[in-house]
Parts: sequence; C-alpha cells; structure tokens
Amino acid sequence: MLPEELTKHLNIALPPLMANKLEGAGVTALERLSGGANNETWRLAWGDTPLILRRRPFSAGAVANLEGNILGLSLLDEAQVIQLASRTAVPVPTVYGVFDEHHPVGEAFVMAFIPGESIPQRWLTDATFARARSRLAYQCGEALARIHAIDCKDLPSAVGPTTLPRRFEAAQSGLHAFGDISPALQFGLNWLIDHAPDDTPHVLLHGDFRTGNLLINDDGLAGVLDWELTHQGPAAEDLGYLCAHVWRFGQLQKPVGGFGDYEDLIAGYESVAGWSPDLRTIRYWEIFAALSWGLVCQTMGALWKSGQGDVERAAVARRRSEAELDMLLLIDEWEA
Amino acid sequence: MNREEDQPSADVSVDELLSAVKSFLMESAAPQLQGRNRFNARVAANVLGITQRENAMGPALHALDQDAATKWLTTVEKDAPIAQQLSCALARREITDTAGFFDYLKRRQLLVTAINNPKYASRAVAEQRWQSAELAPATRAQQ
Repeated sequence: MLPEELTKHLNIALPPLMANKLEGAGVTALERLSGGANNETWRLAWGDTPLILRRRPFSAGAVANLEGNILGLSLLDEAQVIQLASRTAVPVPTVYGVFDEHHPVGEAFVMAFIPGESIPQRWLTDATFARARSRLAYQCGEALARIHAIDCKDLPSAVGPTTLPRRFEAAQSGLHAFGDISPALQFGLNWLIDHAPDDTPHVLLHGDFRTGNLLINDDGLAGVLDWELTHQGPAAEDLGYLCAHVWRFGQLQKPVGGFGDYEDLIAGYESVAGWSPDLRTIRYWEIFAALSWGLVCQTMGALWKSGQGDVERAAVARRRSEAELDMLLLIDEWEA
Repeated sequence: MNREEDQPSADVSVDELLSAVKSFLMESAAPQLQGRNRFNARVAANVLGITQRENAMGPALHALDQDAATKWLTTVEKDAPIAQQLSCALARREITDTAGFFDYLKRRQLLVTAINNPKYASRAVAEQRWQSAELAPATRAQQ
C-alpha cells in the first residue's frame, strides 16, 4: 500500500483511539522502515509523538495455506501478548490500536516508539555502547525470566500448549512441505530427536528474543520487540535461541547474542526465576534455533515463489545455508 | 595465428556480464535510489554474486552429490534432485553410516556456503575445523 493511501486510512481510524491518550490531529511523516522480512514496519507521527505501525502486507489466508507455516501469530494476537507483557517489568511499547485484515489499514497495530538502537551493526561493536553491552546479558536473563512467568492461561488460543514430540513433527512436516531440499537440516532434525532433553514444564516463550529484536540505550535493554513467534515451550529454548550463531551477527566469540557471556545470562535469569538453567540444555536449543532459522528461510522462499515479496525475500531463502552450516558445526562441537 | 597466453580477449563471459550489472547496481543505481529501493538494489547486487559463485562451484557440488548418491542411496531416481533423495532417505532413517554421511555433509556445506554467503562468520570456524587434505580447493570460499 502506498504511504498516501495508508495515511488516509489511519487518519480515519486513529482519532477515536487516540482521544484522551495522545495530543494530535492527524498522521504525519509516515515512512516505511527497512528490514523485516515478513511484516512491514512504518514510522509515523501523531502530533509530536512518534509511533510505530506494524502491518502484514499479505493476506493471512495465503500464509495459512503454507503447510508447516512458522510465520507465527496474527498481528492481533501479537498485540495481545505485548499487552500482557506490559503488565510485567519487561520493557515493551504501549499498544494504541489494533486492526484486523478486513480493516482498510490491513492487519496491523499501532504502538509507541521506544527510543533506542535496534540495528545490530550499530551497537554490537561501537565503543559508545560498551557499558550497555556489559550489562545486557544479565538484563536479558532477567527479562526472559519475567516473560516466562506470565500466566499461560491469559494467552490467546493460538499460543497453545505443545510437546517436544509435536515440535519435532511440525519441523518434519515443514521440511517435507518445502520439498525435502536440505539433507543437512534433516540430519540435524534427526540428531535433535535422538538427543532431546527431558521435557521440562512449558512456559510462555518470546520465541524471537535476539539481537536485532532488542532496543538498546546507554543503560542496556530499553525494549523487547517482535513478539510474533511467541509460543509455549521449555524455558531453556528462549535462552538458546538468543545464543544462536546466526543472531550473533558475526561476533561469534560472544555467545549471548554477540555481546555477552553465558554466565551473566544464566545469573540474570536465576536472580528473577530462582533457578538456574542448564548450560548444556541451552546449547541444545542453539542447535534447534539453527533448524528454526532454516525453516524460516524455506518459508521465505516458498512465499516468494507464490508471488509474495521482493528480491530481499528471494535472497533470504538462500540464507538457509547459514542454518545448515551452524547445525553441522554445533553438532560437531557437541560430539567432540 | 595462435592466441598467446596473455593476449586480451574481447569476448565478454557470463561472469563478466554479471559483474557489469553488479557494478551498475552498486555504483550507479543504488546511490540514485532511496529507502527500500536502495536497500533492494544492494540485495540484488549480492544476489548476482551468488549466481556467479554458483556458476563457478555448482559442478563441484554436483559431483559431490553424485558420489554421495552412489554411496548411500539404494536406488537413484534420475529425475529427482539427489539432495532431495538423500533428505528423504535420512527422514526414513535408511542411512546408517552416520559418521560417513556427516563427513559428506560437512564438505557439501562448505561448498554451499561458499556459494551463498562466503563471509558468514561460522564458515571460517567450520573451514578451519573441517579442513583436511581430502577437501578439494574448490570448497574454499572465493573472496
């Protein structure tokens, strides 16, 4: 949708939602931000207040048609989970308005803009963020423990309970649905099944808690974004995901997100949860995270082939090879 | 007249054509574009790099897969990609030589990442870890 058209629809939809909340008379400065392979992110202003619009550019029906789809929640459900998290000490943006796919705006929600840096290349190595980085792993541990304490009874029905065997089945059906194109991912899935840890009680997982989805300021963690992959699972999964190679953005020597160490992450988690996640299990979930990234890349390829998305999505499909390499490398290290 | 070793050729290869388009995208088009289009022009230039590297290393990858097919598939279907047949055989748990197959996958993956993303950080770690005299030079990333 063109910015002019989106502005027009927002100017009809937003005034009643903003009444008594934010000063302003209309939308200005609507601009699409780069990045985000499955949802669009737009910046806009309402009066003097900067806001963010998250919008799904394709129909939910088209996504549901992809068997093994792991694109995640509808934006409506995502907004609901963010609102649940906003009741905890986890830093999340205030949600002002939610629109379903039948609304002229499209499936979308409008939320507060939290100042901070999200682009990894800007904060992962820059000296001005050294203090933030030094405290970030501990803060991430705290935030994850708080997310995991959210009562699963309050979740939208799409975020239902599951089991490890069902997760494996979903991954297997994903690999089949995308044409069994990757012996490396299949080898990795076989290994994950054969080495599965005992299934611990499932909690609410953010599901995409990683460098790139975190907002950083001078004090460290300023915001937790992108809740669309929220699901239930064992706590160690979120910690392993944060440590996945692909989300270290080249800073492999820093296992936690390319910025921190395992000890600080685990200590931060324990300070809130009262128990200490097992490092070996975290590392198991790092391997699982590689499989998940591989499946996301395959989903991107399938979406692009169905005519949805631009050249970036086609290119992301080829990044599957990163996930394959990481699975093999991590399995090799595990068995050494 | 026989062509000398160092005689320049006016023939423009596919690889050189792709390089020309890549230069156009990066040096001419991208600076003139804004926002999403500028970003996508750079992505497109990168995609052409993948194409060039696949042209160069595809035959080595194909040979590796052919060899794997004779080793680990009981029957080879002519029309189906070997990677797919191997993947299905793994899913059915028909490949029991796990160590041997793992070695093949390591070699294969060094090639595949050399095509798709030679600068991916894990690749350097994997290459150092897995490098052996048996690995063909073509498996090294072309920078």
